[in-house]
Amino acid sequence: MEEKLQEIFRNVFDDESILLTRKLCADDIEAWDSLTYFELIMETEHAFGIKLTAAEITGIKSAGQLMDIICRHLGEQE
Amino acid sequence: MSWQDGKAEWRNMDKIPGRETGFAGLGNASELLRCARRLKKMEKPEPELRIAVLGSCSIQYFVQILYLLLYDRGIYASVYEGMYDGIRMDILDEGSAFYRFCPDMAILLTDWRDIREFPQLFAEEPQTECCVEQILEQHRKLWEALHEKLPECQVIMSNYVVPVERMLGNLECNYAFSRQSIYRRVNEGLAKIRPPYVLLADMDYLASAFGKYSWFDAKAYVLGKLPFALEYTGYAAGLFAKLIGACRGIVKKCLVLDLDNTLWGGIVSEEGAAGIHAGMDDAAGEAFACFQKYVRQLKERGVILAVCSKNEEKDAKEPFLRKPGMILQLGDFSAFYANWDNKAENIRKIAEKLNIGLDSMVFFDDSPAERELVRTQLPMVEIIDVPPEPSAYIQVLEQAGCFHWACLTKEDAARAESYRTQHKREQLLAGAGTYGEYLQRLKMRGSIREVQSAELERFAQLINKSNQFNLRTKRHTQAELEAMMLRDDCRLLAARLSDKFSSYGIVSCVILRKNGTQCMIHTWVMSCRVLKRGLEYLMFAHMLETARAWGCSVMLGEYLPSQRNGMVSGLLPELGFCLLESSGEACEGGVRYAYDLKKEFSAAYYIQEEA
Repeated sequence: MEEKLQEIFRNVFDDESILLTRKLCADDIEAWDSLTYFELIMETEHAFGIKLTAAEITGIKSAGQLMDIICRHLGEQE
Repeated sequence: MSWQDGKAEWRNMDKIPGRETGFAGLGNASELLRCARRLKKMEKPEPELRIAVLGSCSIQYFVQILYLLLYDRGIYASVYEGMYDGIRMDILDEGSAFYRFCPDMAILLTDWRDIREFPQLFAEEPQTECCVEQILEQHRKLWEALHEKLPECQVIMSNYVVPVERMLGNLECNYAFSRQSIYRRVNEGLAKIRPPYVLLADMDYLASAFGKYSWFDAKAYVLGKLPFALEYTGYAAGLFAKLIGACRGIVKKCLVLDLDNTLWGGIVSEEGAAGIHAGMDDAAGEAFACFQKYVRQLKERGVILAVCSKNEEKDAKEPFLRKPGMILQLGDFSAFYANWDNKAENIRKIAEKLNIGLDSMVFFDDSPAERELVRTQLPMVEIIDVPPEPSAYIQVLEQAGCFHWACLTKEDAARAESYRTQHKREQLLAGAGTYGEYLQRLKMRGSIREVQSAELERFAQLINKSNQFNLRTKRHTQAELEAMMLRDDCRLLAARLSDKFSSYGIVSCVILRKNGTQCMIHTWVMSCRVLKRGLEYLMFAHMLETARAWGCSVMLGEYLPSQRNGMVSGLLPELGFCLLESSGEACEGGVRYAYDLKKEFSAAYYIQEEA
């Protein structure tokens, strides 16, 4: 999952050097703004076949939180 | 890096979804956005067009993709992005950033949430009508305010996408006071009240075609105020890019069709006219019959049809003459090329015969190999990705949206007729001893007058679509021309022509500009259907009259070479203009000429002038 997510980060922020860590957040990535963040979520939903709730989306502050939410949704699917 | 390098780099960049994969590629919004961001970082040429986008919702994604798609179509625009929900603010405030930007075109993106006042339940027709009228009046006021401040600005506005929510459920379509009914009536009303400088973009159609349950994305609206799901942004921007192009004269005029398995099922040279499938009484043939009907309707609205088929000509024509149930007739085609030559070569010949540019042609052929060949050899021709299933032909052609024009004129509808009668002219020419005798026998009648308001739509269309007989290739939107009409130092002349076979309507336009004692030919274009008829001489006599009535002493003309207007490079000297010595310094590579207005002009032409 982390590999897939890292790929999405790199694509959306158009930066091949991004290394996904749990702490990664808006301050670390220059291209991270409300627009690209929204795209990131859309791409993530699409790639993992899940739908995040609006509350989850507004609550995410770091890549780690996003990973947890993805895991939770994937867990629910099983 | 120069912009040419930038452009080259851009061309070599990752494939652009909208261009490489056609319609479907526009659905890949994230890829489009990524391309758009990279494009933004690159050095680009000086923008040639200023576009302002104003919207009720969040428009950033739309703006980014629109910019990309325009650039990909060769339109370098600088784009102003209005504030969130800033349509009224920008247009009604005379000192707004929007007016400071001074756009050539304004795009207004409406949203169903903009309409807040609805009739009460059980409202009678007068109240309902009044509600619709009020909404329309608000739009009229906005347009007029914008037009007064920017008379040359072309407005392209989306109509309302009728929402999915219905508090009356199915009853909404049963009562005129329902919200759904109001939205529909507003959309109808907009079409009725739009002035010529406003073009509507049918977003409600686009949304319905995809299905509104998926078009709308309530979560995206709540989170980012997106008017519709992100994945449709490419389609919406694609529609506007086409319309902006159309307002600038970038349009397709001609549909080139294959025959076997395109217009009918089967191969006529093997199965004979009786064996192919084309009629409504045959399941395999019905899809082709429907397609033929659709194509025939395209012809009736002014799209030129041509055949390009690998066949013996005799075999290829057989079904049109003998097969019952064929909708299209031989007379519907303005060019018919059935032979064994390379199709790219045939398409080139069709363009030559019809006097139109290759970039105004669309190629529809069921064979992937033929499409690939044409794509490689003639990249400027638009190729339709024809699916294997014939019943899907209409939808694919519809989705390609190649015939989105900025307007429809009577001349468009009459065009097919003038091409159809072309072979009669060719017979006349063959039978005439000299070209002059041919022109005499054509019994042409013409008139040259100042353009009237009702004719402006056609006038703008001709100026924007003509490529060959076009002295300076300066494009103008209808709004700009309307503003010029009102100026004392401008004269817009329109020429009409008819001959014994057809009436062409307005086929040539001139814009003259007075500057002191000089009269400048700002624009001179002529339809490719009436070249070499001597109309230019009759027009020039009128231009001289105008210049003399203005009290000018000299007429200035300029030939600005483009890739396509070589045929008029010698026009001005032929009319008696003298080359200006200083023309070496003229900008944009133009060649300047002058005509002393004391000099008399005489030329032989065979057009009887009508009052």
